[in-house]
Amino acid sequence: MFANLTDKFQIIFKKIKNKGKLNEDDIKNCLHEIRIALLEADVNYKVVKEFINDLYMQIKQEKVTESLTPTQQIVKLVNKEITKILGSKQSDIAINSTPPTIILLAGLQGTGKTTTAVKLAHYCREKGHRPLLIATDIYRPAAIEQLQVLGEKSNLPVFSIGRNENAVNIIKAAIKYSSKKDIDILIIDTAGRLHIDDKLMSELQEIERNISLQEKLLIVDAMAGQDALNSAKIFCDKIKLSGIVLTKLDGDSRGGVALSLKKVLGIPIKFIGLGEKVDNFQAFHPERMASRILGMGDVLTLIEKVESVYNEKELKRLDKKIKNHNFDLNDFSLQLKKMKNIGSVNQIMDMIPGFNNIKNNINFNKLGNERNELRKIEAIISSMTIKERENPNIINGSRRKRIARGSGTQIHEVNRLLKQFYQVKEILKKGPLIKNISFNKISR
Amino acid sequence: MKIIDIISQFKDGLNKSRKDLANKLELLFHYSTNKSNFLERLEELLILSDVGILATSEIMNKFDQINFKEYRENNFICFKEKLKDIIIDILNSNNSKIDINKDRLNIIMIIGVNGSGKTSIAGKIAYRLKKESNNVLLVPADTFRAAGIQQLKILADQTGVEMINTKEGADPASVVYDGISAAQARKKNVVIIDTAGRLHTKINLMNELEKIKRVIHNEAKELSLEILQVIDATMGQNAIFQAKSFNESLGVTGIVLTKMDGTAKGGIVIAIKKELNIPVKLISLGEKLNNLYDFEASKFAEALLD
Repeated sequence: MFANLTDKFQIIFKKIKNKGKLNEDDIKNCLHEIRIALLEADVNYKVVKEFINDLYMQIKQEKVTESLTPTQQIVKLVNKEITKILGSKQSDIAINSTPPTIILLAGLQGTGKTTTAVKLAHYCREKGHRPLLIATDIYRPAAIEQLQVLGEKSNLPVFSIGRNENAVNIIKAAIKYSSKKDIDILIIDTAGRLHIDDKLMSELQEIERNISLQEKLLIVDAMAGQDALNSAKIFCDKIKLSGIVLTKLDGDSRGGVALSLKKVLGIPIKFIGLGEKVDNFQAFHPERMASRILGMGDVLTLIEKVESVYNEKELKRLDKKIKNHNFDLNDFSLQLKKMKNIGSVNQIMDMIPGFNNIKNNINFNKLGNERNELRKIEAIISSMTIKERENPNIINGSRRKRIARGSGTQIHEVNRLLKQFYQVKEILKKGPLIKNISFNKISR
Repeated sequence: MKIIDIISQFKDGLNKSRKDLANKLELLFHYSTNKSNFLERLEELLILSDVGILATSEIMNKFDQINFKEYRENNFICFKEKLKDIIIDILNSNNSKIDINKDRLNIIMIIGVNGSGKTSIAGKIAYRLKKESNNVLLVPADTFRAAGIQQLKILADQTGVEMINTKEGADPASVVYDGISAAQARKKNVVIIDTAGRLHTKINLMNELEKIKRVIHNEAKELSLEILQVIDATMGQNAIFQAKSFNESLGVTGIVLTKMDGTAKGGIVIAIKKELNIPVKLISLGEKLNNLYDFEASKFAEALLD
């Protein structure tokens, strides 16, 4: 249904007739695809617009088009920018010098406040604190019971005085109660509310006015759409939010809401919820979120790996060799070894033109097969003399026989390898290695 | 309830959202200096309503075919009608009502991701169907969520509808089995099954739903099964993936669009209808038991654009 960003890049770059340098149109096409990817990820329309404009400026400034690997560069740039916006890791809870530290959780209905409250309490306890959960949702049927049951399951204390007192009074009673016990953190679970519900928003403001709060966290569902920015803005206007918790990230939602909120409101995203268990709670990692929003977590890791194995100097050298028709079996063998180092040989092969043909000829479907196949190829090449590797043309019938015997393979396998080598060499002649990179589909 | 009353409640519920959109639409209409300008702003409007890229494209293409000058000369009402028609065209379905037959067992299974509003909807549907003189039984198949059974029990009591007993941690399929047996024994004609919220990516939980469906078909031979997916109006594009997964696993017969009393436009149903052809059957606009309405494409589009 929604092809991912890298597939689209693949299509764009297949159409490039020149030697792989991006022109203005190519850049615009790339940006178009990035825009679509961000909108599909639910990043707010206006935020996307601004982001793409800024990105365009940067691409021009960074002279991406002059690099050997424009695709990689753009993808890295986008990832870097999003990571920058999402901010540095700020997962600390502001602890009050004079206990107790009081944390308020607020948000729309169904975002996961109660579950998060318990997770946060657990998290604090693991860090050596003594938390108390406070039940102030006096509206939703069985809301208090829900908090109590969850608290009991994790052995976390829950304070409640029923549904007949208002939120402020409940919290005040909790503070009084905690002063007599060994409790240093109070976590207030509130009722889900619409940002346009004046009565309930006033309740939040009442709490803020009457209670000294160290943290005011907005709980946001990672599946939220375009309107999330509007509702968050209003929560922000009514009470001074100190942080955001993004929940339900154990799904496949891209979570673009994170980018919208951070960009416009500037409030740090402190934690993420990754499941229903009490320890499915983590500090927020901007880099991971960035690649998730772009829908390409795997590919970025792959790019990093490829880069670690092929540096620019090597690429340039290889380029030259190919241009001068000097690409030989030594180089071929070296490339295969590098791919082995990267791992995911399957995916890498797809990235390098020519090599994806090899992949198609070798049956990589069965587990372990790819290693065997590669081992065979390496063995065959190792059984060749240096002269033979440098100039495979001289490998006649008797040489092939010798090579087969020496490597423990069949003659037809030697034949096949040579055929593949020539194929790769042919394809590489048409364009430099890795410039016209094509990414494999990311499988979830 | 009279149609007029429903529309006005609908409009009140969508008040904040429509005002915003309608004002923008008028501005759009009057201040767009040329066609591409206009189309760009129209696209913004639709995307901001969570209509999604594909459905937005389709709508924009249809507009692209309009003679822009002609539209500038026409009045705003005419233009609005055109936009409405395009949206209605996508949303229309022959199959957009909940069909309850008094002479057989009607089973309604409520599914959806966490926090979408399933339990509330179960209560609201129970309330409505009881009012329409059905014999309703509520089945709390959400045995996972802390105090989930209690929550449904409170709604059962409020609506005066029976609910079968069960314990937290019980096997949901067993609960459903008991529910159907009880319904048959107590001569109920409607069974509403509330299930636990689950992310569509959790294979074992999706398997659990499929098991429940199998139990239903094994236990009740003559029945009508309505599988309703609850979708929160504030959700973004992921709702399409949810719908796709639930549909692949179970076959979703209809969507219930909840939390339409906020400012989210709920345009995601346009995208879902376009891609998966699953009709919206019900729409919920508030927390009261009677805030549940049959979905009608024309009213949805009208209330949104009026």
